[in-house]
Amino acid sequence: MPTSAFIPAFAWQSRAILGRHWRVHLRKWHTALLPPLMEPLIMLLAFGVGLGSQMTALTWNGTSIDYLTYLAPGILAYTAFMTSFFQSLFSAYVRMHFQKSWEGQLTTQVRLEHVVWGEAFWAASMATMYAAMVCVVLVGFGAFGSLTLHWPWLLAALPLLFLGALAFSAIGLLFTATLPSMDHMGLPFFLVIMPIGFASNTYFPLPDLPVLNQISLVNPLYHLCEGLRWLLITGEVHWHLAAAAGLFVLMLLVLIPINMRLLRRRVFGDG
Amino acid sequence: MSIAPLLDARGLVKSLGGKRVVDGVDLTCAPGEVLGLLGPNGAGKTTSLRMCYGFLRPDAGTISIAGHDLTSAPDAARQALGVCTQDDTFDADFSVRGNLEQTGRYYRPRIPDLKQRTDELLDQFGLKEYEHHMPEMLSGGYKRRLMIARAVLHRPKVVFLDEPTTGLDPQARVAVWELIASLRTQGMAVVLTTHYMDEAERLSDRLLVLQSGKVRAGGLAKHVLGDVVGEHVVVLPVNTMGAEGIQAWLTSRGLSASTVLANWHLPLDAAGLAAFVAAFPTLRYEVRIPTLDDLFLALAEEKSSGSRT
Repeated sequence: MPTSAFIPAFAWQSRAILGRHWRVHLRKWHTALLPPLMEPLIMLLAFGVGLGSQMTALTWNGTSIDYLTYLAPGILAYTAFMTSFFQSLFSAYVRMHFQKSWEGQLTTQVRLEHVVWGEAFWAASMATMYAAMVCVVLVGFGAFGSLTLHWPWLLAALPLLFLGALAFSAIGLLFTATLPSMDHMGLPFFLVIMPIGFASNTYFPLPDLPVLNQISLVNPLYHLCEGLRWLLITGEVHWHLAAAAGLFVLMLLVLIPINMRLLRRRVFGDG
Repeated sequence: MSIAPLLDARGLVKSLGGKRVVDGVDLTCAPGEVLGLLGPNGAGKTTSLRMCYGFLRPDAGTISIAGHDLTSAPDAARQALGVCTQDDTFDADFSVRGNLEQTGRYYRPRIPDLKQRTDELLDQFGLKEYEHHMPEMLSGGYKRRLMIARAVLHRPKVVFLDEPTTGLDPQARVAVWELIASLRTQGMAVVLTTHYMDEAERLSDRLLVLQSGKVRAGGLAKHVLGDVVGEHVVVLPVNTMGAEGIQAWLTSRGLSASTVLANWHLPLDAAGLAAFVAAFPTLRYEVRIPTLDDLFLALAEEKSSGSRT
C-alpha cells in the first residue's frame, strides 16, 4: 500500500484547501443552511409522519416500531452518504474542470495530493455538518413527542458519520477522476447511489432474499443504517458499526491511492 | 565571476503518451534575467516549463530553484517560484483582492505582511479600483495582471510566465510588458514563453529555441538568428521570372526557401548572398536582416524537411 498517498492528509496544505472551502461556505451560510435543514424535515414529515400514519407498525429486530422511528437513523446515514458523494463528485468536478481553481492552487506550495485530501475532508466535513442538522431536526421531533431515540448516542454517531462520509467522498472522487464530461454525471447516480441506496435498509427493510442479503453484507451504507438503528433505537453498540467502520477504512485504503493516480493523469496528463 | 543561476534545470527528459516530448533540455536563468523560451507548437516549451514548476515529474534530469531541489525539497523550491499559467486559473469564488489573499494562504512560512503586500500589488498592477470585483468581470488585460500579481505575491525568486499576453490587445500587451520588465528590475529570474516574436525580442535577455523537444539554439537574439537563420533574408515573389532557376540554385547548394503568402524568404549567410547576387544579377528582390519570425519559418522548414526524409 503506498503510504505516500496518506501522509499528505496531515499536511498543512490539505488544511489550507479545507480552509478555503470553509471560507467560501461561511460567506453563503444563510442560503446554504436551508436545504440541509428542510430536506430531512420534509422527508421525515412526508414519509415518517405522512406515510407512516398509513402503515401498520414495522417489525425490526423482532420488535414492533413505528415507521418514523425506523426512518430516522436511516435518514441520518443517507444524508452523510449523499452529501459527501455529491460534494466530492459534482462540486469537485466543477472546481477542477470548469473553474480551474485546482490548477491555480497547484501553482503554489499545494500539491495534487493536498488538493485531493482537502476536497475529501471538505466533503466529509460538510456531510457531518448536514448530519448534525438532521440530528437537530430529530431532536425537534423528540421535543414534540413524535420520536423517541437514545439521544446521547446522536453525538457519538457523528465521528463515525465523518469517517463514512470520508470514504464515500473517495467514491465521488473516483468518478471525478474518470468521468469524460459533465454529460456523464448521471452515471454515478445509476451505478452507485441507486444500488447502494436501495440495498441499504434506509427507507424500508430489505426483503429476505439470499441475493440481497449477500449484497447488503458488503454495502457500507447498509451497515451504517443498521448500526445507527441499533445505537439510537436500542442503545446497543452492534457489530454493524464495526462492519461499517471496517468497510470505510478499506474503501479509503483502496480508493485514495487509485484516485491520486487517476487524478494526476487527468489534471496533468501525466502518470 | 559568474552569478549562480536561480533556475538550474539539467538534462530534462519527459515522455507523454509514449512520445518523448522533451529530450535532454537544460534551462538556466540568473537573477534579473529574462529567458525567452521559443519554439513552434509541440516543441516542448510548455512541458519543460511544467516540469520546472512541479506540474510534471521529469523522467530524467534535475531541477533546482534558488538552490532547492524540486524533487527532494519541494516545499522550499515551490516557495521560491511563481507561476502564471497559460489559462486564467483564478479562484472564481473570490474577488480580485480575495484571490490574492487566498493565494497567500497557500504558502508557509506565512507571508507576514499579507494584507500590506496585497495592497502593494493591487496598486502596482493597477487593480486597486477592481479589488472587490470578481475576476471574470475583468477585461483580458486585467485578468493577466491579476495572474501575474498572484504569481509574485509571495516574493518568489523565479517566475514562470507561460504565454502571458496571448489574446491581449496591443495596449494591454504593452502594459503586461512593463510589468514583466519591472519583475526583472526587482531581481527575479523570469522565464517567458511566447509566440509573439516582437515580445520575445523586446523582453528577453537571452533566448532558448526548442524544436522537437531539444534545444536547437540559445543565446542572444542576434546569435540565435545567425545560427538558425543566417545573416540575411532575401525576399522575392514566388512568381519571379526564372523561378525554376532559383529553385535549382537553392537545391544545388542544399538550401530551401520558406513560402509566406506569395513570397519566398531565403535565409543566406554573407557568402551565400554574394553568390546569389552573382548568380542572378538582373533579379529584383529585397534583402533585410532576419527577425524571429524568420527563425520560426526556418524551424518549420527544418521540421517539415526532417519529416520528409
